[in-house]
Amino acid sequence: MKIFVIVILLSSSALAQVKGSLSGNVEMQGRQVNNSDEAKNEFAQDWDKEEFYLYQGNLNGKLEFKDSKIQSNLFVRHAKSDLLKKKEPIPYLAPGIYSFPKKMVSRDVFKLVHTDTGRSSETEYIITNLSYEWNYDNRFAMGRLNINYGLGEIFNPLNPFNQPTGLTTLNQVSQGADGFNTTFFVNDKHTLNFYILGDKTQDGYDGQIQKTLWIHGEYEFTEKLQFDYVAGEDQNRHKLGSQIKYNFDSSMMFVQVLYQTDFTDDKPSHPLWDAMIGYDQQLNSKWHLRFEGGYQKMNRYMTESSFSERFLPAEYFIAIANQYEIHPLIKITGTVFTDVKDGFTYILNRNTFSIANNIEADIFGSIPMVKSSSNDNPAQKIITTDIGISLRAFF
Amino acid sequence: MKTKELFFCAAIGVNASQVDELTKYAETQIRGDRSSSKIQMNIETPNWSRTLEITSDVEGKDFALSTIDSPAKEKGTRTLRIKNNMWNYFPKLKKKISVSSSMLLSSWMGSDFTNDDILKASSMNEDYTHSFGADIVKDGNDYKMIEHKARENSKVMWPKIVALTSKQDCLPREYHYYDKKNNLKRILTFSEIKTFDGHLFPTKWTMMPQNDHKKMTTIIYKDVKFNVSFKKDHFTQKNLTDY
Repeated sequence: MKIFVIVILLSSSALAQVKGSLSGNVEMQGRQVNNSDEAKNEFAQDWDKEEFYLYQGNLNGKLEFKDSKIQSNLFVRHAKSDLLKKKEPIPYLAPGIYSFPKKMVSRDVFKLVHTDTGRSSETEYIITNLSYEWNYDNRFAMGRLNINYGLGEIFNPLNPFNQPTGLTTLNQVSQGADGFNTTFFVNDKHTLNFYILGDKTQDGYDGQIQKTLWIHGEYEFTEKLQFDYVAGEDQNRHKLGSQIKYNFDSSMMFVQVLYQTDFTDDKPSHPLWDAMIGYDQQLNSKWHLRFEGGYQKMNRYMTESSFSERFLPAEYFIAIANQYEIHPLIKITGTVFTDVKDGFTYILNRNTFSIANNIEADIFGSIPMVKSSSNDNPAQKIITTDIGISLRAFF
Repeated sequence: MKTKELFFCAAIGVNASQVDELTKYAETQIRGDRSSSKIQMNIETPNWSRTLEITSDVEGKDFALSTIDSPAKEKGTRTLRIKNNMWNYFPKLKKKISVSSSMLLSSWMGSDFTNDDILKASSMNEDYTHSFGADIVKDGNDYKMIEHKARENSKVMWPKIVALTSKQDCLPREYHYYDKKNNLKRILTFSEIKTFDGHLFPTKWTMMPQNDHKKMTTIIYKDVKFNVSFKKDHFTQKNLTDY
């Protein structure tokens, strides 16, 4: 009897230390999309005007113990449009842009993804996060992780595990990656992350999991100067890169460089490298300015189906993003993106209205103003002109 | 430049005649060396209102960590400031982003307070020089006007702040903020003085922008703890991302 009482007391004491929480968001989005002549003529995209509907949501769960926690996120996305109908030999390519990032698990070992495909719809149930984290003097995490670092909002080559969403109309989206992460807080100035990840989705699973061994470090030279470095092997390429950030009194400037060797196996490839420079300033209490410009070496071996692997449909680019708060409940964002080599120019406008404490709406539009006549970057050709609205609620 | 004047303030006695001492006293009372506060913020206009709840931890002038407790849309969003470096952390995306220190100027969550106000980056005592102004009687109470001007090397948003300080408890009741062109831009009023851990503290702060008289933001301090012993790693990126 005594033992039973002690067990009960110990259990209730342990349970008292456990904290759980659930949160999430749901979003409805509708847009009208208009095709271009280039996509019709050169990529057999034989449609003029279509409607595209997207319903998506996240359900976050968290269980916290003394020094550790278990976290999860279920992401559900239902897309509906005639553009989702099957088409041979070249499928409709535009939906890959509207639901970017299409691939919600960037380094996938455990399936944890279920897709229902209808005649003109697609529903995905994806666990984008399911991880155990132990916080001791340092930090250890395992499972499906969200790996987010790097200052780029439009182009962030330093982080191959999470694509930037600065040019999309989606938010609250984070990609998962399967594996282990250990973070060493070396001292106040230096943090070092080790990742061991797996991936079996790159070219179809052939029984061999591609390994990712990755180091990401952050080092603060001075209060104003911070240095990030990455090195490792990922998706059969060796990669090496860095980011340098400098804080001015009233602004911030940063530079990223990433070099990727050709494939470590015998598949045809060539080295890739990316570079970017960014500038960020709050001009006054309402107006925020960001500039990003850079270079992305085009992959000559890229196919139509792999457009989304390197998101930017440009080689040399400049992007300016302004966010202005015209009212505490209304924010306007205007982004102009241009490829300085071939003239490709894309404009994105998003107006966000806070309707209630936990509800907001977006009205958005995007127009490819200029498309290159060359075939150096075919991804440009499939970009459509869109106007849409979305409604988002949080709980 | 110090201005000496006979000015009785019971709380600090003879030191009340020294404007620097008076300013330091008021800041020590309100800010303390280390404090942790539970705050409710109400943003109000004739057409809409919004309420947020925040936990704000501050250590000296160099360290601050704020966490949004509600609403759900922003819950868990944290901001860490270490000197002039700032980071935001969005736990649902596991995303930590370094933000420009110029963001201190920006409005905090659409309110009339700035990040600088919430993260307490500037110090009235250290970043401004002080001089006494006129004696004022308002609503039957006696006040002393104190003019605070930004020091040459300080990086503060407001070049001039005029305070209306109570002669009774030496705490400010109003701050008038002026821009570079000497235009009055906003007024912050302090009321509902209570005592927390031996500190006299105004628990209601109301910010009124002068370019829009129909709008205001009120901060209610639900609880304030002074002389808090924060963990060694409280104001670190490790703690920022442990949510």
